[in-house]
Amino acid sequence: MTRSFKPVWLALTALCLMLFIVSLLTGPAGLTLDLPFAAWRGDAAARLVLVELRLPRALLGLLVGSSLGLAGAALQGLFRNPLAEPGVIGVSGCAALGAVLVFYSGASLAMPMALPLGGIAGALVAIALLQLLALRDPRLATILLAGVALAALAGALTALALNLSPNPYAVVEIVFWLMGSLADRSLQHVALALPFMAVGWVLMLSGARSLEALTLGEDTAHSLGIGLRSLRLRVVVGAALAVGAGVAVSGAIGFVGLIVPHLLRPFFGHRPAPLLAASWLGGGILTLTADIVVRFLGGDTELRLGVATALVGAPFFFWLVLRGPRSDMRGGT
Amino acid sequence: MTTAASLFAAVVILAPAAKAEPAQRIVSLNLCTDELALQLADRDKVVSVSFLANDPSLSTVAEQARGIFVNRGMLEQIVALKPDLVLAHRYASRSTTDGLRRLGYRVVEIESPQSIAATRQQIADVALAMGEVERGKALIATLDARLAALPMTAGRRPTAAIYQPNGYAFGRDSLADAILALAGFDNLAARDGVAGYARLSLESLIANPPDILVIEEGGGDQRSMAQQFLSHPALKDRFPPQARIEVPRRYWLCAGLSVAAAAELLARARVAQ
Repeated sequence: MTRSFKPVWLALTALCLMLFIVSLLTGPAGLTLDLPFAAWRGDAAARLVLVELRLPRALLGLLVGSSLGLAGAALQGLFRNPLAEPGVIGVSGCAALGAVLVFYSGASLAMPMALPLGGIAGALVAIALLQLLALRDPRLATILLAGVALAALAGALTALALNLSPNPYAVVEIVFWLMGSLADRSLQHVALALPFMAVGWVLMLSGARSLEALTLGEDTAHSLGIGLRSLRLRVVVGAALAVGAGVAVSGAIGFVGLIVPHLLRPFFGHRPAPLLAASWLGGGILTLTADIVVRFLGGDTELRLGVATALVGAPFFFWLVLRGPRSDMRGGT
Repeated sequence: MTTAASLFAAVVILAPAAKAEPAQRIVSLNLCTDELALQLADRDKVVSVSFLANDPSLSTVAEQARGIFVNRGMLEQIVALKPDLVLAHRYASRSTTDGLRRLGYRVVEIESPQSIAATRQQIADVALAMGEVERGKALIATLDARLAALPMTAGRRPTAAIYQPNGYAFGRDSLADAILALAGFDNLAARDGVAGYARLSLESLIANPPDILVIEEGGGDQRSMAQQFLSHPALKDRFPPQARIEVPRRYWLCAGLSVAAAAELLARARVAQ
């Protein structure tokens, strides 16, 4: 069984590496193939551009994307809901709200760590609320509708917070928080977010076997000795850590967690365990691609990352809704 | 349509030439008209200023504006003040100025001049509309005297870029470009083909750096993404403190004496280097 996945893994890894390199070579105005050579020869400006501007951008594309892809797969498995996605169900929105409150109040100036913590707190509140709701009423629509309400509320509160901020630039920055961007981030942002994301990934991946058992239904999982409470805790906290820290440095990038698991599911026979790891890679691939595309399409003012992912993701979402729930989807991740 | 609009504006601006009576109840809706109103009229004739007039980081007349009724450009609020002259910016609070015109109020609109000559002309136009022609001439004379007193440039002109929050720069055909030239700098952004106010990517600024980076004073305030951007490690590395000149934000906002203030600050910094 595992052996048959091998070509898929190889292809995903190769694609991911390739896109990472293309991202490093892509400047605000298209490809710059000579940059690494200039940096190698000791050109200080080229080195600065490569290490301080391109590298953090490519790294964050990979890391934030991985977090969203993995969280999407894990949440779809936990809620047994094919449409559960950090952006759609308001987790990213609440994370953005948490980060906005910390950032514009100046708390993150006093303590940089407060920025990812703010995002994580926002994401945790959202996922915990949805999980509590799911335990009371596990129907597909309930969680989705509650998530939509949560997303709208978080968006409104974010706008309110930015409007009330005395900073003259705050109001226009709502676009960043709602649509996301990786432009001009620094290695400091990578250092701030990565530790939290890594812990989040480990927590979610550690739930892979339990999620697999959960596809057989809660009772069966229970009889197999799977601790559902522990699984819920791991996925809820893990997704909050990964998505919260990611959104805090990149803004909310939608639909990555929706598209990636769905595209990869057929390759893994609808089994959650390999799908989680594959979605981790796939999220990085999709986000790196989107971030390369916005640099080519943007022109004078760069397009926001969330615009690119939504242009693909929203029609995809429509298609999923039109196709209707299928048996293989309802049970599986 | 555009011709009709500009004709109308011209008529509005020229109309008061007939009556030389100074305006008695002036209401200003815009930060830049606040400055002109307070510099050209007696303070007690300025009935109201815009809500930004009191903010010392934005307004060059924050001191004089203190205590004057502050408006937010709402039609009802303005009508209640019974103004005999409303000063506004052409591209701000449009619905209010349209409404005021329909109600028969005298509205004079300014634009954002993009050269020193246009700045002089605008001061003269507004002074005429206010019935304060002499004070207008005096203000222009003060401006010209301060610009003429700027230290001369000897030898090579250093290059500079005025880098604004969010990565925008002033290019050619902008007032800031004219100010840089008066202060003895070559505007890197203009040379790179930036026109007006446009985005200049961090990458191109680092790959092709000017001698001096002119940034907003207090760019250390990182409480917005726009300003945090100015303390990006790459930018810090490329432009150490001695390669930066900080200019208060209020100097770039309006065309008036702040043009001279900005040029003086930049020229002094150039000479000191």
